[in-house]
Amino acid sequence: MSVVLLIPLILYPALLCRRFPDGWLDGMTRAHTPPAVELIAVTKTYGAGEQAVIALHELDVSFPAGTFTAVMGPSGSGKSTLLHCAAGLDRATSGDVIIDGIPIGGLSERALTKLRRSRVGFVFQAFNLIGALTAAQNVALPLRLAGRSPAPGEVTAMLGEVGLADRAGHRPSELSGGQQQRVAIARALVTRPAVLFADEPTGALDARSGREVLRLLRAAVDHHDQTIVMVTHDPLAAAHADRVLFLADGRVVDSLAGPAGVQEIAVRTARLEEARAGVAS
Amino acid sequence: MRFAWQMVRHRFASFAGTFVAITLGVAVVAGAATLYLSSRPEAPERYSASPVLVRSPSVGENDYGEPEYESWTATEATGLATRLAKLPGVTAAAADPMFYVQRLIDGRATGDPEAARLDGHAWSSAALGGYRLAAGTAPDRAGEVAMAGSPPGTRIDVLTAEGPATWTVTGTTDGPGFYVPDAVALRMSPGVRVIGLTIDGDAATVATAARGVAGSSGEVVTGGERDSLEPASVTRVRWLGAQLLIALVGLGAFAAVFVVASTCALSAAQRRREIGLLRAVGATPGQVRRMMYAETLVIAVLAALAGLPIGALTAPLLAGPFVDAGLEPAGFTGTVQPLALAGAFLLGVVVALAGVAVVARRASRAPALDALRDAAVEWRAMTLLRWIAGVAAAVGGVVLLARLSAMSITVRSTAGLGGAMLLLTAAALLAPVVIVPLVRLATWPWRRAATGMLVREGTLVAVRRVASTAAPVLLTVGFTVLLTGTIATIDNIQGVDDAAKLPAATVVAPDGVPGLSDTAVTAQTGTSRLPTRVLITHGGGTAGYDAAGVPATEFAELTAPTASPSRSATPGATPSKPAGSGATPGKSATPGGSPGETARSGGTPGRTPGSDGQSGVVLDPATAKELGAARGTVLELRWADGTDERVPVRAVVAAEPGVLLPRELVRRHDPAALTDVVLLDGPPVAVAGARVMPVRDYVQIDIDEEGRLVDLFLAVLIGLTVGYTGLAVANTLLMATAARRDEFRALRLAGATTGQVLRVTSAEAVLAVAVGTALAALVAVISLEGVRSAVEAELDRAVPLVVPWGAAVAVTVVCGLVAVAATAGPVLRHRGLTAGGGS
Repeated sequence: MSVVLLIPLILYPALLCRRFPDGWLDGMTRAHTPPAVELIAVTKTYGAGEQAVIALHELDVSFPAGTFTAVMGPSGSGKSTLLHCAAGLDRATSGDVIIDGIPIGGLSERALTKLRRSRVGFVFQAFNLIGALTAAQNVALPLRLAGRSPAPGEVTAMLGEVGLADRAGHRPSELSGGQQQRVAIARALVTRPAVLFADEPTGALDARSGREVLRLLRAAVDHHDQTIVMVTHDPLAAAHADRVLFLADGRVVDSLAGPAGVQEIAVRTARLEEARAGVAS
Repeated sequence: MRFAWQMVRHRFASFAGTFVAITLGVAVVAGAATLYLSSRPEAPERYSASPVLVRSPSVGENDYGEPEYESWTATEATGLATRLAKLPGVTAAAADPMFYVQRLIDGRATGDPEAARLDGHAWSSAALGGYRLAAGTAPDRAGEVAMAGSPPGTRIDVLTAEGPATWTVTGTTDGPGFYVPDAVALRMSPGVRVIGLTIDGDAATVATAARGVAGSSGEVVTGGERDSLEPASVTRVRWLGAQLLIALVGLGAFAAVFVVASTCALSAAQRRREIGLLRAVGATPGQVRRMMYAETLVIAVLAALAGLPIGALTAPLLAGPFVDAGLEPAGFTGTVQPLALAGAFLLGVVVALAGVAVVARRASRAPALDALRDAAVEWRAMTLLRWIAGVAAAVGGVVLLARLSAMSITVRSTAGLGGAMLLLTAAALLAPVVIVPLVRLATWPWRRAATGMLVREGTLVAVRRVASTAAPVLLTVGFTVLLTGTIATIDNIQGVDDAAKLPAATVVAPDGVPGLSDTAVTAQTGTSRLPTRVLITHGGGTAGYDAAGVPATEFAELTAPTASPSRSATPGATPSKPAGSGATPGKSATPGGSPGETARSGGTPGRTPGSDGQSGVVLDPATAKELGAARGTVLELRWADGTDERVPVRAVVAAEPGVLLPRELVRRHDPAALTDVVLLDGPPVAVAGARVMPVRDYVQIDIDEEGRLVDLFLAVLIGLTVGYTGLAVANTLLMATAARRDEFRALRLAGATTGQVLRVTSAEAVLAVAVGTALAALVAVISLEGVRSAVEAELDRAVPLVVPWGAAVAVTVVCGLVAVAATAGPVLRHRGLTAGGGS
């Protein structure tokens, strides 16, 4: 019981905390909530000269705060690159990426790391946790890296939120794949980031564990206004999102708004694959 | 960061290599440093009851950096002793003349020969050690002696510089040594160099007063300064031991850095996803770096703590073997040396942090994206820093080796080794550059076979792994070839040298004694030299020279004006050793003259003064040049017994090296001098303490003794290097192969048998060893060439390069076997086709 009661208590200061350093807001005239992440004319190319591969093509995408976006597309469509650039893991060749109102182009590696630490959360397909640390220590890691000790109960509460309060002292090797992924989600959310990026979070899980992970992500959006960007190729996973973007050859070629049916997503995906096959042949 | 400890605990396997390397390094350094520090000069036991001692003044240093002392004459010594005895607080002052005496039992000399040179003492000096009579009376007349272990009245056979004698024991002492009446001792010893005081006052006060009395004619030592009275022969033994111990410390530390650096590099490369994840969740490069430092610190502290007791406990056990090997004086023990332990601990930690420093810097800048990548492509192997460091080390090494011949002998071997170390480091740093072409070349013939293709491609994408394996091999093979090659090259010229000079003759040589007595020499028909040490003052400076007493007839021939040209054409039969190989310093020379000469008397080198009043000195051209002397120059010479004499140079002749003097004069001024060897003209006569042997065998004794030491040094140093690098090779490959489990599973799923997988891994291991060997060969040849040309420049003649193929092949094979075994282990252990546990 107490755990549940604690959540809003933790959340509240965390939400306040998010606004606190943001002096830039004063200069803003926009009345509506700014997007959590915005990509403006982002191009990403790998290599140079004739061998250059254009992964992202003058992409303009905005991820509004408190929304759950799924990014889909055939392999090589640039969806992973989109995630890397949007999350500040990789730098765009040209164009601007704005995370929580801060353009990251001019930031040093160190400043970018700090920005990631406080505003961005990650959930990967696999290898999400540090094997040497317990579940609780993994969740506390971002806080510790930021140089602050977790408030009493903060970590336990976070683990409780993902249903693993009783597993705090376990190491990753003692947890199932689904449990590991839920610890990863707890860790990603513990800093109350402006945006959570998930890269095929269900890719390595069985159907039931996958559903549980997606339910948790959905709950974070619904109950805590968490912004989530998820790259996936699974229509079932994408169906949990508020919006589905379809990428092909580094461009957004299609989108579906509102909770979309799995069927509809699958059809669009198939269409895209066909189109691609047509181009190729 | 407090996670460091958990990281270490969790991934101990990947830190095991660092752990073992540091443990071993700290153990070696702690042990060697303990022995080194335990081996301090110590005042002889027989001065233990004399807190204040006065020694004769030093006039500078000899060629080995040891101080050169002049002697007081007997008169000077007794005079000074009398004056010192009158000082308040002084109970007695005893001059301490020392001479050669050795006990004969059944005609054979007993005891340690070198120690026997200083075994004879004056009775009054027994008080300096607090030795007292347990029975009987003090010796009073010539032929009487007080000693330990024999009851009064016993008659004992002894050998002195004069010859065999029979003495009567008048008293039994409770301390070692032969004590004869003071006047006899003064007559038998070449002057006095120490006067000991027994006191009942304050040592410092007495010392001050003694300084006032002694003035510039003596140096007063007290407390720890008394340790400088250690006999030179003991100091030399300790010096030999110190050489080995210093080499052990240097090599131990170097090998530890090498192994730690390569292990850290590999483990960091393997952890790159974990580091990437840390970066992704918000660890700054600084935090990653600090974490890696903290992990290494934890490991290093644990490893050092494990290594310290090993080293500290092994050191005392090694004291015995060190004494047996002639590297420490008898009675040496290893004692606990806090400084050695602290130093070794600190060194271990610093070495570990140095090993991880470069790796941490690089790993901390790993992009966070690494956490998301699956591809097995490695980090770029060569960085700008690596290029710079590699090229700098190579240039430094070559420059050092090229300048070798311009350096002084004392630093040359260190500089040579340092140059080689720099080159080895350079080769290790630049290895990734040459690995790709080398591997392409080596695998070209098998590129179509499945195994060949896998090995080729597997190696080419994992340059870093190959480099990590090749580095320790490089170190081992390089060191082995360099050390054995240097020795073999020098041995080779030495053999040529000696063979050319030795006449086919027979000699009478010492047998269980430090040298031949006059009786032993007189009994033979042949040539001999009576060695002594003289101080020659010239141009404001005084220096010590080895001098030899030459029988009267020979001396006359040498100084005869007509003799010079013909003499200079027949070089003396002095087996000299080439410089640079000198493991046994300070033993000079042997018989002179050539056997063809006629009618030299066995000599009457007794105490009768030269009947024809021979005097003067004969110099060889080198010494003459050094002294700026020519025929007719008058030299100021101080004999071993402290008397001064002005002697004219009679001739400058290239017959024998050094300073030649009339034998009678040498004997008169150095009553304890012993002849090294007699070159026989006639049949040998059996005498106590002498044996007959061919010249070749006699020379071989010295060569063997030196060879024994060199072999010992080589065995220890190469053993250490091979042990260390074997460990590094095994560790690197165990780590690397274990991490490739998935890759091997995929291979098996694709239809490869375990045998085929083993063939691939073994071939990869052998390839890595081959790369290391090739680089080592390159470095060794360059270094050896540097050493060779330095020796060549010094000897001013062609010196052929000797490459120790046997040693090189043996060490390479050992490395290869270790490498194959280390790769086969993990492959055989995980033979299943299913994924092995969560990764």
